[in-house]
Order: sequence, then structure tokens, then C-alpha cells
Amino acid sequence: MSKIKNFYKNLYRRLFQMDDRLLLIIAGSIAGICSGLAAVALRLSLESVLELFHPFRQYWWAFILPAVGALLSSFYLEKIAREGAGHGVPEVIYSVSRYGGLLRFRSSYSRLISSFLTIGSGGSAGPEAPVVMSGSSIGSNIAKFLGLNDRQRITLVGCGTAGAIASIFNAPIAGMVFAIEVILGEWKFVNIIPIAIAAVAGAQVSHALIPDQVIFNHLPFQVGGADILPSLGLAVVTAMVSVLFTKTLRQTGKIAKKSSLPFWARAIIGGSTVGIIGMFMPVVLAEGYHSIQSMISGTFSMGMFFVFLAVFAKIFATAMTLGWGGSGGIFAPCLVIGSLTGVLFHKMLIVLVPSFGCASEGAYALLGMTGLVSGVMQAPLTGIFLIVEITGGYETILPLIVVSSISSTMSHYIEPASFYFKELIERGQFLRPGTDARILSDLNIRELIETEFVKVSENMVFRKFIELLKISNQNFFPVIEDETQEYKGVIQISAIRKFALDPGMYDMVFLNQIMDTKVMTASLENDLQEVLDMMDINHMDSMPVVENRRFIGMISKTRILDLYRRELIMQTSDQ
Amino acid sequence: MNYKLLHIFRNTPFGRETFLQSLYFCKTINAFPVAYIPKSDKFLMYFSNDAVQVDLDHSYLTSSDTAKGHAEDLFKEMQIKPMFYEPKNFTASTLPDISTNFDYLCCPRSVSDLSSKIGLGHIGPKVRRIIKHSTFPILITSPVFKPWKSISVFFGGSKNALNALKLGLKIAMSSGFALKIYTLLEKQDEAYYKDLIKKEGLAEPVGQLSSHWHFYEKKDFNTMLYDVPHDSLIVLGAYGHGIIKDILLGSKMEQIQSTVTNNLLITGPYCSVEL
Repeated sequence: MSKIKNFYKNLYRRLFQMDDRLLLIIAGSIAGICSGLAAVALRLSLESVLELFHPFRQYWWAFILPAVGALLSSFYLEKIAREGAGHGVPEVIYSVSRYGGLLRFRSSYSRLISSFLTIGSGGSAGPEAPVVMSGSSIGSNIAKFLGLNDRQRITLVGCGTAGAIASIFNAPIAGMVFAIEVILGEWKFVNIIPIAIAAVAGAQVSHALIPDQVIFNHLPFQVGGADILPSLGLAVVTAMVSVLFTKTLRQTGKIAKKSSLPFWARAIIGGSTVGIIGMFMPVVLAEGYHSIQSMISGTFSMGMFFVFLAVFAKIFATAMTLGWGGSGGIFAPCLVIGSLTGVLFHKMLIVLVPSFGCASEGAYALLGMTGLVSGVMQAPLTGIFLIVEITGGYETILPLIVVSSISSTMSHYIEPASFYFKELIERGQFLRPGTDARILSDLNIRELIETEFVKVSENMVFRKFIELLKISNQNFFPVIEDETQEYKGVIQISAIRKFALDPGMYDMVFLNQIMDTKVMTASLENDLQEVLDMMDINHMDSMPVVENRRFIGMISKTRILDLYRRELIMQTSDQ
Repeated sequence: MNYKLLHIFRNTPFGRETFLQSLYFCKTINAFPVAYIPKSDKFLMYFSNDAVQVDLDHSYLTSSDTAKGHAEDLFKEMQIKPMFYEPKNFTASTLPDISTNFDYLCCPRSVSDLSSKIGLGHIGPKVRRIIKHSTFPILITSPVFKPWKSISVFFGGSKNALNALKLGLKIAMSSGFALKIYTLLEKQDEAYYKDLIKKEGLAEPVGQLSSHWHFYEKKDFNTMLYDVPHDSLIVLGAYGHGIIKDILLGSKMEQIQSTVTNNLLITGPYCSVEL
């Protein structure tokens, strides 16, 4: 038995402890496969339930379907899964930023079920954010099971994300790029290989279970140099629509949160509103892949005015679904709104310049999708690779890059934070690796405190203090009360010069007469950022740390700088 | 010493009992109790290798308008300065992150199952996960306020048990109460355990602070439990074995907690105690 144990230990050490890349590749592929399976399960079940409900959409009462779906979804999240709201991606980014990618196990399935209920009943949302949440949680829990450290766990969270996106869109490069660009926020060699392998594993799972799939089929597009100029115009329009979409989503959510209605009433109101809009404009319902397909293939039959209305209707319907109790993501709505914007732009171009030899409506739908994805997520690479992969059309790559880069830049100019990051930035929790805020948040105030300080009694006579001064190299002396040991103030060498230079005062002054009681103090509850802010405002280089009225130690800028450098090197190194 | 204990306050008569127990514990060992009055029925605790979501039963949110006042009254009754914990970070708007930078945490046996909160029952799954992952000891209180007057350490020789012994010594030093050690002889004899504490450098403090070291044969497990004074704080290690052994053989800690009504102070596998 002990021989087997030793053999296993040796093997483990040789394979994984010397270099964890192999471990991450193996664990990453497992995360990719599992998250791929979760994504395929959601996609197939959504397809079935949407087909099941399709015949009922013609009846007048069909508007209650999204309401019932939203109600069940919010009830499930609130009462059964007890998840706490949110569509998932910001939670994953938050966990990666702050807690080394630790995610709850329940998140690996809860959002799949709730989004199935929402989208399956016709709610305007996408299945991508739920599968990202699920995949990330799977990756995180595999890391927990294997007892991996924070850095390895974050990589596996990225692997889960990549596998999920790669599987649901059958787009491995987009999955990899999304995981690195949006979720992890760092392009490190050590992350890229496991994430790439996980993305391929996820896509292969999807391919094996749903063979011969290209999500959106189309004929080859004839895109020429003449389309570059209109692409610029489309990029500006998609940037504007992206900002409008982001703001509407946030405002609608805020209104819902402020209302005193219970969660179930909010879900019914949101779902019914979507249902009513959907009766007149079915393009707003569910994830909208069929509408996108018809726009890309040039068979979309709506007139210009109705397409214009549909853009706003889809924005509003998505905001009502996600803000008022439904569950899902914004990826698919972005694609629908983007393709509608592209179609609208093409129609306007034809009306204004009838003889303009531009590409087909389908090509512009494609460009519109890229513009919206890049604008809303402010992730240009994700936008480009996703559209190229899901349409299989490389002929539009040049205008895609133009639209994507201009749209993300413009929307960033108008609204500096993307939809995913906005809430985290407002809460001060958007902490990307290697940034000042992240490094400060990763340093624990406890490890920065210097505790080797001689404390002095408030009743000490000044002569005795001078004797102490001769043998000490401290610049600060915390003063404490004899009986309770409570902190009373601090003696700073620089502030007692006048007493020190007058020996006549030595026996006349006690420390409680000359100590500084107004010095700002920090506590163990303070974040390092708060401590540094206090030091800057009060022009201090060191600050006493006091907890429960007891002196704990001193915190100094020199010590902070030392550990800051160590942490910075660790976070920015490639290992 | 500047130790802090976190107590999740439940504004009910049962909650009052457990809070009094926390206050008494802190007063006895000269630690500071910090009360958290939950505003939502769930919170998250991020440990080094797990995120534990604690779903509180609805009694934790009873009469939220009077909760703070009731807690303050109890602080005053025990002549302790009131301190309350306010979460700074939120995973979601209704899901606060509760800091794990405490030295002790007080838990009833279950936080999410209303039906078993009064009786001894089993330790709930959330409390179990907290014990398994926390780096600090967990105080599991008796169902009614019961001041303890001595300390009893269950010492089985494992790494967790050594931690429990160190913790018992620490509590004995700060409280001044007598310490008794209880050992069940399963595979080893008395000499083995005595050698073990010598090797760990604990022989001297044990000699100074411990009044008795009782040894029992394996079959006398229940006798040992009965011999522990009813007003003693039991300190023990938990989940020292792997999950398979725990499932197959059961956990001693689970057996003990379902038998005795004493207050328990439990050190989990990630808990590190320094003398």
C-alpha cells in the first residue's frame, strides 16, 4: 500500500509540482468538456422548448408566457437556489478580481435552469452569460477539488468560460478571446495554452453532440473597398446604440430595484411587458437566433420603419426581462440589436444613395452585430472573432475590424465602463491584475504592520523618556494608559524638540502633557487604499494602527512600498 | 491580546441565549465580540479554498427594527462595549461578503434549518463547511446560556487534536480556569500520547496548566463523555481524517456534539493555533 502511495506521490511531483502547466492543461480540458456539456444541454433544451411553445404564440393569451417564465425563474433563483440576483458575468469578474476565482458550486447549474425558464418562455435574453457563469463555476470547483492555488484557479475559471462560449457558439477562438479579454483581463502565456485547449474541448463537445452546425448560414458576401466608408458610419451608429442599450439596461434595473414591489410582482410586470411587445413584434422574443439568420441570409421582410421600431423594442424588451426579474445574458440580444441596426443602416443607405454599389443587407447585419458586441462589451477582439467564427465568413474581416474598433472606442469615449464592468467600477471592485487597486487590495494590512514598538506610559516623566530615547531608534512612541493598556496618543520625536532641548523641563513634564492625541489612526478593518488616502490627506509617512482602543503597531509608506513591489512583480511575472 | 469573535445575531429568545454565550466567552478570555445583524437571509464567506454561502433561516431576520437595540442591551448587561460588523463588499446586492479575518466565530449547530435549532441534532451542512475551511476556531454554543467554569480538551493525538490542545492551553491561560485532558486509547498507550506532547514542546505548559489527564479504553467512550463536567468548555479538533474515512467510520466530533450539551470550541483542519 505504501509503495503505491509513494509511487503516486512521486508521479504527482514529477508531473505537476515541477511545472504546473501539464496539470492546468489536463484540468482545463476537463473544465472545457464539462462546461461544453452544460452549454449544449442549455442550447438543446432551449431549442426544444421554443419549438414546443411556437404554435401557441398566435393566441391572444400568449403574452403571459414570458410572465410565467420570468416568475418561475425569479422564484427559483430567490427561493430554491437562493442565488442573489445578477446575470453572472460581473460576479465571475468580481470573484476573479477579489477572491482568486472562488465561485459557489450552485452557480454551476442555477443560472442554466433560471435562464432556461426565462428564455424558453420567450423572455428577451441570451443563454451565453448563464453558460459563462456555469462554466466558470465548474472550473473553479475543479480547482477546489484539486486543491489548487489562486492563480491556477483563475486559469481554470478562464478555461470553463472559454469552453462554455466555444461550445454554445461553436467558436473556439471567440471563447478563448472572451475568457482572456473580458473575464481574466490579462494575456499571460501561462493562461493562454490551457484556455485555448479548453476552448477547443468545449467546441468539440458541441460539434460531437450537434454535428454539422454553423449557427448562421449564408451565401458568400461580396464586400469591396466601397464598403469601408459606410462601415465608418455604421460604427458610429452602433456605438450610439450600444450606449443607449447599456444605459437603458442599467436604468430599468435601477427602477425595478427602487420599487417596493415583491420579486414575483416585478417578474410578472417585466414578463408581461415583453409578452405584449412580442405579440406585435415577435423579433424581440427569446434569444432571436432565427431573426438573425433571416437578416444575414437577406430574407428579413420588415420595412425600414418597423426595423427602426424593432431596434428600440428589442432594447426595451431586454431591459424589462433582465432588469425586472428574468435571468439571462446580453450577448444574444446584442447580436439581434446589432443585426437590426445593420439592416436599418443598409436600408437607409439604399434610400439615400440608390446607385451606391455596397454589399448585401446580410453583410451589414454582420457588421452591425460586431459593432454592438464590441460597443456594449468594449471587447473589440471578442466582437471580431465571434462574428467571423459563427458566420464562417472571412470575406468581411476588414470592415469587421473597422466597425469593431471604432464602435468600442467611441462607446468607451461616451461611456467609459462597459456593461459588465460598470457596476464593479462604481463599487470600487474592478481590480484587474497588475493595477494599483488590485495590488493594494491583495495586500493585507495585517502583514504590513510593524509591531516591534516600545510603548510608553502616559504617566512617564519626560526625563525617563529621554533615557529611553537614547537607546531606541524609534521615531514614534505609542502612549498607553497604565491600567487599561488603552492607546492614548503618540509621541513624535520631531514634535518634542523644544522640551528635549530644555533640561529644566525634564522633571516637570509628563508624557500625557506632550503627546499628540489628534494623530489619525488606522484599524485592521481599513482597506489599504483607505489607509494610504488618510496618510496623503494628513501628510503622514507612518500611522498608528489601533484596534479596540489598543495599539497594534505602525504602518509606514516604506513598508507598503516594499510589499507593493513584491506583489507587483508577482502579479506581472509570467509564472 | 486583541482577539475578536464574530457573532451572527438572531433576534429571538434562542438567539439571545447564544449571544449571551458569546459575550461570556469573550469576557472570560478577554476577547472582543463583534455582532453582525443580518439584513438579508444569506451571506458569503470566502475562505482560502472555498466560498461558503450561508443561507440563514428566517428567524435571523425577525423584527429587524429591534435587533440592534436588543443586541446593545445584552452588550450592556455583560458590560462590554457594543461593536457591530457592517459588510463592505457584496457579491450581489443581496449577498454580502462577510470577512473571515476574525479569531473566533460563534455558530449554533445549524444556521439554515429552523426545525433543529433548539435540540442538539446534527451539525448543519453549512456549519460543517465553515468548520472545515475556517482558519479560526468555531464556538458552537449550548442551546441555553450556560457559563462554563473549566476547560476540557479531547486529545486523540492527531494534528487537529494538537491544535485543540494548544487552543485549550491558550484559553486556560487567558481565563484562569482549570484544564482537563481526555484521551481515548484506541491504538496507542498512554506513554505514546505523553511522548507526543513532549515532542511538540507542550509538556511544560500542559504540566503547568492541566490539573488532570484522563485516559479511557476504547469501549469507554460514553463514560468519558459523562465524566466531562456539565459546565466545562469542550475543546476538540474536527475533520482530521479524509472525507472517505469520515463517511465510512463517522466523525468523532459529530458523535460528541450530538451527545453532550456543553459549549464546544472546535478547530478545523485549516485552523492554526499558536501559543
